[in-house]
Amino acid sequence: MTLSTNYLNKALILILSGVFFFSVLANAKEIKTETPPSGHTKFCIAVFPVENISGTAAPLKEIRQIVIEKLKANRFDVLDEGTLEVFMAKHRIRYTGGIDREVAKAFKQEVGTDGVLITTLELFDDTNPPKISLIARLVSTGENPSILWMDGAGLAGDDSRGLLDLGLIEDPKILLDKAMKIILDSLTSYFSTKTEAEEGNRLKRKFRPKVAYRSPELGPERKYVVAVLPFFNLSERKYAGEILVLHFIRELRKFNNFEIIEPGILRQELLGLRVIMEDGVSLANADTIFSSLDADVIVSGKVIYYEDYQGGGGRPKVNFSTVFIERKSRKVVWGSNSYNEGDDGVFFFDRGRVNTAYAMSSQMVRWIGEKLLGDHQRVQGGKRNGKKGKGTE
Amino acid sequence: MRIGKIWRHLKILVWGSVILLSACATGSDTYIDPNMDFGAIKTIAVMPFTSLTRDAVTAERVRDVFINKLLSTGAVYVLPTGEVARGVGRAEVQNSAAPSGEEAIKLGGIIKVQAIITGVVREYGEARSGAVSANIISISLQMIETQTGKIVWTASSTKGGINLWDRLFGGGGQPMNTITEKAVNDLINKLFK
Repeated sequence: MTLSTNYLNKALILILSGVFFFSVLANAKEIKTETPPSGHTKFCIAVFPVENISGTAAPLKEIRQIVIEKLKANRFDVLDEGTLEVFMAKHRIRYTGGIDREVAKAFKQEVGTDGVLITTLELFDDTNPPKISLIARLVSTGENPSILWMDGAGLAGDDSRGLLDLGLIEDPKILLDKAMKIILDSLTSYFSTKTEAEEGNRLKRKFRPKVAYRSPELGPERKYVVAVLPFFNLSERKYAGEILVLHFIRELRKFNNFEIIEPGILRQELLGLRVIMEDGVSLANADTIFSSLDADVIVSGKVIYYEDYQGGGGRPKVNFSTVFIERKSRKVVWGSNSYNEGDDGVFFFDRGRVNTAYAMSSQMVRWIGEKLLGDHQRVQGGKRNGKKGKGTE
Repeated sequence: MRIGKIWRHLKILVWGSVILLSACATGSDTYIDPNMDFGAIKTIAVMPFTSLTRDAVTAERVRDVFINKLLSTGAVYVLPTGEVARGVGRAEVQNSAAPSGEEAIKLGGIIKVQAIITGVVREYGEARSGAVSANIISISLQMIETQTGKIVWTASSTKGGINLWDRLFGGGGQPMNTITEKAVNDLINKLFK
């Protein structure tokens, strides 16, 4: 009797330690090796200086240098530094967060560039464990500039600690390299397959909008040209409104129903039309934007919180409201409130914890796209195809 | 004889409890104009709320949740906040959080709404009692009809705060967002009841 109890205890300990060991391994992610690029050597890219909306000092020149080196290593044709400097000085380009129609046309005609790579630094925190969030997009040049590709990465050094903290990244340069690799792999994949990389993360239900209104006038089968206006920033985070715009552009592009206007063009139009928005978009402002940009939907909203945390202790917080105004009905067709914290729904061993506001807001915004087009249609991988897929739970 | 005495004492206790508990009941905090036809209201403008708390942004947070909740009922259409702000500017409303009757009529004519809703966030945040703390929200709203400039509906709601459970076991109460939604739901239920 005593013997069998001892055996039972030992077996139980063995099973529990096995479960613990495998649950730890589940957090560790596979490190991929670089894949050789092919078939995109003729596409000439101008790499804009990195736009810093992190609100902190960051090694922007180094980041840009890494981008250029990696692009060259992947056999991309990058516009040389001297030519870009002369071009930017000639056209008095100071804003590097987007390109307008004139600049896009001049890029094509004067320097023969096919695309402009716009990189935005959302977060840079070099305290241990480091955190970095980057969003990049490739905009075509010529008469009608459009976003060809867009992706980003939001990483924290302790995203996948693994067994005995073997997966912990303490060096910000390693983390930056990892983020750059994710982004440039996605760009390379775009050029080799002409489709954007699949979203690895499953959409989690906890990131759904908490309060939502969807008008029946919004047709899930229609294609909409969307203008994403800067969100009103009521948070303490500098540039939170601009950050959320980039998330909306990135996530809504994944749905075939939305064609997003390059934010540089929108910015130029708003400046040209001298649109001043008090407390949101008025219908008069909306009409002006609809007609000048030939947009079907205007997206705007308010950011209440957009908080990342420094170091190891803390949790990110994101809280925002969204409004979609449609051109034909001149009415609000979507209104929602989304809020989440990094440890929402986390009970055991930090499983499911999110360490950056970037990762959280990406999911929160994608859920809005999901809900907008109706629950019957699902996202498969990166692109919506109308079939039930693995994108959602 | 003895059973009868116990029975009499028990009856006194029950009736005493009923009388005492009835004293705890609160009166209605809702006013509804009996002559108002609420079915005629199709479009509403929600004015900026006043915040009586230290944080001025709280009023904007509550207003946003209220607008989306009201829209999601499908019973009325709520004008975008930017359009309301444009109307307030054109109607030259002195205090957009508390327009006068005349201002409400003028505003209603400009932005084409049948009613406007104003509100006050009286409490928002942490309430503390001794060593115990919990989140609390208290909102009051009123609806003004834009044809007459009269108040046709008022209601208030308080959610969260420290309850017996918190006092006995601690816990810190519910998250702020959850109780905000509860308070807004309560107000909307009072509007449509």
